[in-house]
Amino acid sequence: MSTVLELQGITKSFPGVLANDHIDLTLEQGEVHALLGENGAGKTTLMNILYGLYKPDEGKIKIKGNEVEIHSPNDAIRQGIGMVHQHFMLVPVMTVTENVMLGVETTRAGVFLDRAAVARKIREISERYGLEVDPDAYIKDLPVGAQQRVEIIKVLYREADILILDEPTAVLTPQEVEGLFKIIKTLVEKGKSLIFITHKLKEVLAIADRITVLRGGRVVGTVKPQEVTQEKLASMMVGREVSLVVKKQPANPGEVVLEVKDLHVRDERHNLTVRGVSFEVRAGEVLGIAGVQGNGQTELVYALTGLTPIVSGEIKIAGQTIHNTAPRQILERGVAHIPEDRQRHGLVLPFPIHDNMVLCTYYLPPFANGMVLQEKVIAENAARLAEEFDVRTPSVFVPASSLSGGNQQKVIVAREFSRPIKLLIASQPTRGLDVGSIEYIHSRIIQKRSEGTGVLLVSSELDEIMALSDRIAVMYKGQIVAIVPASKASKEYLGLLMAGIHPDEAAEKAVEATEEVERVF
Amino acid sequence: MSAKETKTSKAKPRKEKDLQDKKRPGAWQVIAMPLLAVLTGLLVGAIVIVVTDARVIAAYRNFFQDPLGAIGLTFQTILVAYGALFSGALGSPERIFLAFERLFTTGETDGLVRAFWPLSESLVAATPYMLAGLAVAIGFKAGLFNIGAEGQFLMGALGSAWIGYTFHLPWYLHLPLALLGGAVAGALWAAVPGYLKATTGAHEVVNTIMMNWISFRLSDWLLNGPMKATGYRPITPVVDSTATLPRFFPDPIRLNLGFIVALAAAALVYWLLFKTTFGFEVRAVGTNPDASKYAGINVPRNIVLVMMLSGALAGLGGATQVLGVDHWVGQGFSAGYGFDSIAIALLGKSHPVGVILSALLWGALRNGATRMQSMAGIPIDIISIIQGLVIVFIAAPVIIRWLYRIRTLETEKVVLTRGWGK
Amino acid sequence: MKKLYSIMAVLLAAVLLLSACGPRAVDCSADDVYCVGQVTDLGGIDDKSFNASAWRGVQNALDDDLIASGKYLESQGQSDYARNIQQFLDENTDLIVTVGFLLGVDTAKAATANPNTYFAIVDYSYPDCWPGAVVGTDCGSDVEIPNVRGLTFQTDQAAFLAGYLAAGMTQTGKVGTYGGIQIPPVTIFMDGFQAGVMYYNQQHGANVQLVGWDAATGQGLFTGNFESTDDGRAFAESLMQEGVDIIMPVAGPVGLGSAAVCQETGGCLIIGVDADWYDTAPEYRSVLLTSVLKKIDVAVYDTIQDMVNGQFTGGTAVYTIADGGVDIAPYHDFDNQVPASLKAEIEQLRQQLIDGTLTVNGVLGR
Repeated sequence: MSTVLELQGITKSFPGVLANDHIDLTLEQGEVHALLGENGAGKTTLMNILYGLYKPDEGKIKIKGNEVEIHSPNDAIRQGIGMVHQHFMLVPVMTVTENVMLGVETTRAGVFLDRAAVARKIREISERYGLEVDPDAYIKDLPVGAQQRVEIIKVLYREADILILDEPTAVLTPQEVEGLFKIIKTLVEKGKSLIFITHKLKEVLAIADRITVLRGGRVVGTVKPQEVTQEKLASMMVGREVSLVVKKQPANPGEVVLEVKDLHVRDERHNLTVRGVSFEVRAGEVLGIAGVQGNGQTELVYALTGLTPIVSGEIKIAGQTIHNTAPRQILERGVAHIPEDRQRHGLVLPFPIHDNMVLCTYYLPPFANGMVLQEKVIAENAARLAEEFDVRTPSVFVPASSLSGGNQQKVIVAREFSRPIKLLIASQPTRGLDVGSIEYIHSRIIQKRSEGTGVLLVSSELDEIMALSDRIAVMYKGQIVAIVPASKASKEYLGLLMAGIHPDEAAEKAVEATEEVERVF
Repeated sequence: MSAKETKTSKAKPRKEKDLQDKKRPGAWQVIAMPLLAVLTGLLVGAIVIVVTDARVIAAYRNFFQDPLGAIGLTFQTILVAYGALFSGALGSPERIFLAFERLFTTGETDGLVRAFWPLSESLVAATPYMLAGLAVAIGFKAGLFNIGAEGQFLMGALGSAWIGYTFHLPWYLHLPLALLGGAVAGALWAAVPGYLKATTGAHEVVNTIMMNWISFRLSDWLLNGPMKATGYRPITPVVDSTATLPRFFPDPIRLNLGFIVALAAAALVYWLLFKTTFGFEVRAVGTNPDASKYAGINVPRNIVLVMMLSGALAGLGGATQVLGVDHWVGQGFSAGYGFDSIAIALLGKSHPVGVILSALLWGALRNGATRMQSMAGIPIDIISIIQGLVIVFIAAPVIIRWLYRIRTLETEKVVLTRGWGK
Repeated sequence: MKKLYSIMAVLLAAVLLLSACGPRAVDCSADDVYCVGQVTDLGGIDDKSFNASAWRGVQNALDDDLIASGKYLESQGQSDYARNIQQFLDENTDLIVTVGFLLGVDTAKAATANPNTYFAIVDYSYPDCWPGAVVGTDCGSDVEIPNVRGLTFQTDQAAFLAGYLAAGMTQTGKVGTYGGIQIPPVTIFMDGFQAGVMYYNQQHGANVQLVGWDAATGQGLFTGNFESTDDGRAFAESLMQEGVDIIMPVAGPVGLGSAAVCQETGGCLIIGVDADWYDTAPEYRSVLLTSVLKKIDVAVYDTIQDMVNGQFTGGTAVYTIADGGVDIAPYHDFDNQVPASLKAEIEQLRQQLIDGTLTVNGVLGR
């Protein structure tokens, strides 16, 4: 093995912030090197320096032993460095071939795009590395996993030897994650070297050859996966002991706070996506709704919170029927909602934090006196909540968009929990968050439960569902296929239900499957 | 970008001013960028003036015989043009000085009136721009692109004129009623596209343009029919003096209470937008309608309300123009105030203070252009070119940043409209 | 950035140096130096109609060295009228020419306030008040103003000849007209046109019909504006559907839309108004029968000349076919197609109009 990339003493500061503080990193040929750290630890900054987007204040970059200067992504590509961004840079209305050749158009006779030649090369690459993609398919028709494969092909097409994958699993389903890992293995077998950026502990343990943990812009340490446990990695990342198990007392269910009967809901494209769902949530318990994304959970939550009108069925919150009631009336009945898409629904990103903290209550005293906003009260409220909910920000007057994902989510949680609530609807409450934030938000949800709030938890992370729920409902194709007590549900059983296997059959299979390799989520 | 979060601390209640300072590190850019855009617009405008001037072109044909003459003529042309623009917009300093001198020596105020007439005309010209600009700006704040300010302006003018000449009331009733009538007419005119947007999702850009055309034709009909004055001219009767906005100075200075009304409207809009729950909703809907719906804000209701408020401001603009300046409405009443107001809202970054400043600039440019046309023989259209250039530089700040080597501000993002459809 | 500043500093220095040697501006306040300013209405200086025509008069005076300076200011909105007049007053302009009835009140106000400045207003005259109107707001003045000359035109006389010609030339037996806005300066054309058609019918026992105007009832076709050539197209098309084959549009540039339709379909001929369209709209020569001339340029030139000669008089100057202020243009490309007898008849009618033995109102019976 030879060293293909060496970073020495990379330092980069932004006004008021030392983003990278003398970072050393080496990448060996044919290695998967995971870069682990919480949001804001400096991973992305480091990779942007490597990719030529930022200029380091200090430090050297050596590629295959030679010191190089990288001033732009084009330089990086010339040095054989390719980056797969977290947010794909693809044109949806173009074909795979066209996307791959974008920027490095191959032409015939100088003017005509030579699509056939590019398509041929794409097929070559996809066969060689096991990247299944149809060169003639349109990007918009491809699932997310396939789009990611296109991004990887783009990088390989530009003949990169060093691949940087930035949070590649954040957008993938569990099955797609498995597929990606297979591809990664093939890539390293064929001699490519990878830097894998993530904050998910299980992933790094499953795929990395070496793990470098960053915290606060510094390298905490570089370890091998065999030498560490999840708990050890987590404490390295966060800088303190982290409890990965949610501690909770047995549930003490009270009266019914949410009752849903035979609910039917259409989605934005008018497809019937919730077809006859019935369940109830009691005060002081967590009902988890598990299921692969896109089985009607989103529309179910929209219907419960008044964002989407219902087609038929009945919703009762604290005994009162909700029938296409406006969101505000629902909120005023004591419902808190942590929305699935925090940037679309949860926050007005350009608004300062203090305004986001009163997004649902700005019109009520003490925040408003008549129609006049009480700015002082709003600011004080925000400062108090930021303190209480550990929102890390230089001030409550900065826009919410300047916060990291975890802190944005904490703003939402702080806002929703600061109202007197009977029912909490939490949809994907920890998606995309780092370990520290997940731990914090989980503990807050459990705290609400013990205070007697009914909690409806919707998540596609099975671990999360199992850690928090008292009862688990599995949703598949718009219906709830089973509701089981959490104590009796195994991960295998739930996984089979999520895949659409009939509950009885699933129960049999689950017993057989217990010995199988644990799937990585 | 993740670097910012590395060095974080828990929010501590600090002194607000302290925090305000930290709020925006490049606040000066907010002021500097529009100023530079205006400056650059004037510079490029100077080039246009020169290359369209027959005398200058002729001088360059003979450049090699008399290079100094050609260059001299170039700068002289620019100087004369912009000198006239300046003195036409603000008055000539020399005249103002002499007028004061005469005032102190002889006590005559006549010279003073003439010396300050250009400045007063700039303010008169700015008044409709202020109100129409505020109309468009408040629409932008709510994510609505109200292109219909022109039509609302016209309907407001007709509404206030009608009240002005139909009723005969004491001034303390008549004037407020006439102003209100203008605002209501504009509001109703804008409510139609607002309602269509709120209920059916029909895009306001299309519908406000259509409403403009309807208003133009409706006004043609009204002026030739129901609202036609005695005599043959297709104009409305002149409004009663009880409905006119009082003028502050003797003729020919037309500066009137309408200017104060516009400033007051700007203050009101500022207060509404930034200090009230209504403004909170408007801004929330404008920046993120999904989150607004989630937060329980009635988005359709807000769309209708904002459109009506926008229309009311534009209508008030028409009303102040009728009641303060013209006292009657004829064909070609509006010199494109409603359309220019889009540019003014853009230049003012949709902020009431910015709108006032850019409206003053617009008024000064347009008024100064009169003198420039007269004294320097530069067609009045050159001002439209300069104004267009300013908007190009505002809309494409990259050009300005590149020209003056200004670094990008990460937080600077103005949400104007959410584009077509959903 | 530094470089930029130094360049700008050099430029500024150059400007200051070089601008010292420019030509001196005209001093309009001097007694023997005459300056004329024209304030247009909303059509602008290039309206191919009365603003342009008036401006030609100013330019001719300038070319003949009658005046030292001739300028114009374009009005973009109605509040510009007063501003533009005031701008010229500010520059000590000797004669201010205002164009169109919309400037009527502003002109009268400025003239009354500045009795030492001469004014001329096209298509308007004072007194213009009606019973009960308030001077200075509703109307300009209830008496003649000594320093304002109203320039008006007996265009019905010229239009009479055009109507007679059209009636003699029509193949279908139907001729048409339409106006911009129903105001006297427009309808006077249509009155004359109608009278011409009626007189032709009387003389020849014919039954040529006029579509688009009836002087007796005051009902007719009007586009409602002086801008939209699209309206001109639409009006010509609907007139053609009525069977009309000769059209006289009295709507400024709107008529060019009609001319375009005639040229494209070959189904109609056009009679131009104000200027000779053979010169101002040469692209439509093939369908231009003649034009009804309203020589505003002559009237403006006359006024300037009077002022320079110290013979300026206020009141109303009426231009007629007798003094050549109105007339019909030559037939140009249609010279061969107009029968000699018809030409002779028209020449005779012109003489009768000049000597007063024939009047338009007489033909119309009023």
